[in-house]
Amino acid sequence: MISKKLAIEVLNAALETGADYAEIFYEDSSAHSVMIENGKVETTSSNSLCGVGLRLLKNNQCVYGYTNELTKKGLLALANSLNKSFHDKRIVTVTKLDMIKCKNRNPVTRSYDDVPVEEKIALIREGIDEIQSMKDPRIVRTFGVFADNKRFVAVFNSKEKWFKRTTEFGRMVFQVIAADQNGFETGFEGPGAQHAIDYFRTEKVNPKKVARKAAETALKMLTAAECPSGKMPVVIGNGWGGVLFHESCGHPLEASAVAKGLSCFSENKIGDYIASPIVSAVDDSTMPGEWGSIDIDDEGNPGTKRLLIKNGKLNDYMIDDLNGRRMDRQGNGACRRQNYRYIPTSRMSNTYICNGKSTPEEIIKATKLGLYAVGFNGGSVDPTTGEFNFGCSEAYIIRDGKIAEPVKGATLIGKGFEILKKIDMVANDLDLAQGMCGASSGSIRTNVGQPTLRVSEVTVGGRGGELK
Amino acid sequence: MGKYDKFFALAKEAGLEEVELVVSESHSLNISLFHGEVDEYKDNNGYSIAARGILNGKCGAASCDVWNKDKAAWLVKEIVANAKVIENDDPIFIFKGSEKYHKVNTYNKDFEKVSIDEKMNKLYALEKALKSIDKRVVEVAGAEYSEATEKHTLVNSNGLNLVQKSNYFTYVAQCVAKEGEQTKSGYDFFLSNKFEEFNPEEFAKKIVKLTVDQLGGEACESNKYKAVLHPDVVTSLMRAYIGHANAEEVQKNSSLFIGKVGQKIASSKVTIEDKPQQKNVFARWFDDEGVATYNKPIIKNGRLETYLYNLTTAAKAGVKTTGNGYGGGSKRGIASSFLSLKPGKKSLEQLFEEVGNGVYITDVSGLHAGLNPQSGNFSLQSTGFMIENGKKGKPLDLITVSGNLLEIFKDVLEVGNDVTVSPSGVSAESLLIKKIVVSGK
Repeated sequence: MISKKLAIEVLNAALETGADYAEIFYEDSSAHSVMIENGKVETTSSNSLCGVGLRLLKNNQCVYGYTNELTKKGLLALANSLNKSFHDKRIVTVTKLDMIKCKNRNPVTRSYDDVPVEEKIALIREGIDEIQSMKDPRIVRTFGVFADNKRFVAVFNSKEKWFKRTTEFGRMVFQVIAADQNGFETGFEGPGAQHAIDYFRTEKVNPKKVARKAAETALKMLTAAECPSGKMPVVIGNGWGGVLFHESCGHPLEASAVAKGLSCFSENKIGDYIASPIVSAVDDSTMPGEWGSIDIDDEGNPGTKRLLIKNGKLNDYMIDDLNGRRMDRQGNGACRRQNYRYIPTSRMSNTYICNGKSTPEEIIKATKLGLYAVGFNGGSVDPTTGEFNFGCSEAYIIRDGKIAEPVKGATLIGKGFEILKKIDMVANDLDLAQGMCGASSGSIRTNVGQPTLRVSEVTVGGRGGELK
Repeated sequence: MGKYDKFFALAKEAGLEEVELVVSESHSLNISLFHGEVDEYKDNNGYSIAARGILNGKCGAASCDVWNKDKAAWLVKEIVANAKVIENDDPIFIFKGSEKYHKVNTYNKDFEKVSIDEKMNKLYALEKALKSIDKRVVEVAGAEYSEATEKHTLVNSNGLNLVQKSNYFTYVAQCVAKEGEQTKSGYDFFLSNKFEEFNPEEFAKKIVKLTVDQLGGEACESNKYKAVLHPDVVTSLMRAYIGHANAEEVQKNSSLFIGKVGQKIASSKVTIEDKPQQKNVFARWFDDEGVATYNKPIIKNGRLETYLYNLTTAAKAGVKTTGNGYGGGSKRGIASSFLSLKPGKKSLEQLFEEVGNGVYITDVSGLHAGLNPQSGNFSLQSTGFMIENGKKGKPLDLITVSGNLLEIFKDVLEVGNDVTVSPSGVSAESLLIKKIVVSGK
């Protein structure tokens, strides 16, 4: 850790040539993971990250650098190298640093530092044993991973504020590869949370249940036919289905795209209908213990709940202070980065479509012929054009209001601003799912989420010919 | 005293039989422009150390990014703790060294003499050109310059000490074009360590063309089409395809190439080589286990010649390693290095003529979601053009292409002569394919 006195000295050196803002981001984190493959502990590793990122702003310009030389000499050298980008007189001087106190909504009751590796191995072994008890010869390879991370961050800035934040999280992953004469399929499940290891032994999340689900998906997809292609109604399952909103709408609502006028949902669209009136959507970083939650963001703004879409109308964005300058807005607690090596920017946290009034059963029943997509591999989007894609790992055909045969290899594509308007039924079974989201400030933890919902027409790519 | 002697001494004290460090040191710079002004300037000094060691025949690993006495002790403690729980019985090696190494130079001294002004001037010129070539370009979403100098060191308790130094720079830009209600974006990436090779005007022309050419497109009928795949698309598919030559995947029953060495698995037009010794910025003369690398065909005229091995999988199979042990952690993974698809004789225009009527697929996105690396099945969001009467026709909007990697490489009718080296380290050409499933209207 660096002292307040040193922080003040480094900030003032950074501000010497006219920057209007300077910020020190100190990080000391450690990660551990253990993997069991085919029943045997295959690899374990420990990783430590410790460094400082220094950010200087002047109007809309950002200068950033990082170092692992955490001495006075190393930090001042970094400040004096970065401040060469500006050539004006000093306009800000730091004389003190007051601490920002923030709520701790994500306390981990038992630190992962105190969990012996044997306990993590025992947890994963339970899941692997469950898969082995299925005795299905088509299962050719199994992986079970437990990964945990403890991250200490301290931020000092030229607004004469500082804060510190400790986060801990764990993730349990099972992956199963199944094979028959026709080829291979995989099943993957990876729940995670900012909770102690006990979270992974609850009724909702436990190794037996999670591992079995991964194995069942792989086996089911082995017998699945190729997904038909063309335009069709698609019912998207709850939880992971939220990747649709994450890609098609979440990324274009980040200030990093909006501030530069590079989003299909630019600022002049606030108040306009960008979605069907039955759609409301939220990004909420205040949900206790959730995978994507943060108490305070990387700029010292507290985590908030942002109502992005209100009854179909565009209402708000994820904003960081720098992009906020171009938008004439303050940051709203969305500024995040993977680690000290990345320039932070506006990102999602726990992003979901709110509950509607239908039930999942009603939605299936109301669909004569279409696709029911329940498992997803993720996707991507170009925020400028709104063109997105996401791949399905588990899907079924709906025939006459009933879930029928499984299909594989489905990819859904479209334009975000078109798809949101085509959502015609929303159920009441909201659930969240844990993923890693990659963008300019690195790979960060985010939750996607939604209730079961129906899109009246989506372009589906698959190899199975026309849907009949 | 060497910088890392303390670590080796502590490791010996702790009873570790053999240990190894892989050290990466880098200095990099990223500068991006927005509306003619520097928007982001990033100066980085990166440092990371990956350590591993053997205790009672089991290998543990740990890594960090700060070097001092405390960290050396922490690494040793973690390696010991991690090795103690390993159950895998595979043979593990800290390598003593190859008989001979063929060094390839990946560091260009002349590049270090290029001034920052020259680099910035090309960046400003690039942004300006992007804006001025075509009126339909409404925004330059980003123009960025990056450079890096990297030093990669492998040092172990068996006396091996190898160092490879490299440098390179990149220019990346993206522009946005509008016509009516339609918005399209396009970007490209240039990578080299010879500064004179980059021409900002030529690069801008290429990006603008690939962006505005997409305007006015619509989806085609869902159907099977004869197709030409752009080298960028071939690059993406080829990487996933060659992933099945990974000996670990083969030994663990999860590769599509099991039992196929010596057999014909692709069209006889297909020859794919692994070329770590190719003289370019991607060259690697030793792998992450310290083994000397060499060029070799993986697929020759459609026949699978070899799997790719590291020391562990080679020992299990009773063969020699192919020098493809890459990655960190306690056990090294397996990867190809510079992949190269052998060019054919026909130009792109000749390929179009041969297709007659079909599709030309120029880009695919969402590979992590739409391509199942295990089964080889893919269904990917794509952009491209119709091929009509032997010529490139109207653009295609919102389509997917689907297929299977094994089938695609069996269905190759021709390989083009348009050699294209991608910044991801693959050399590929256009491919003429018998059929691909397109989902559109």
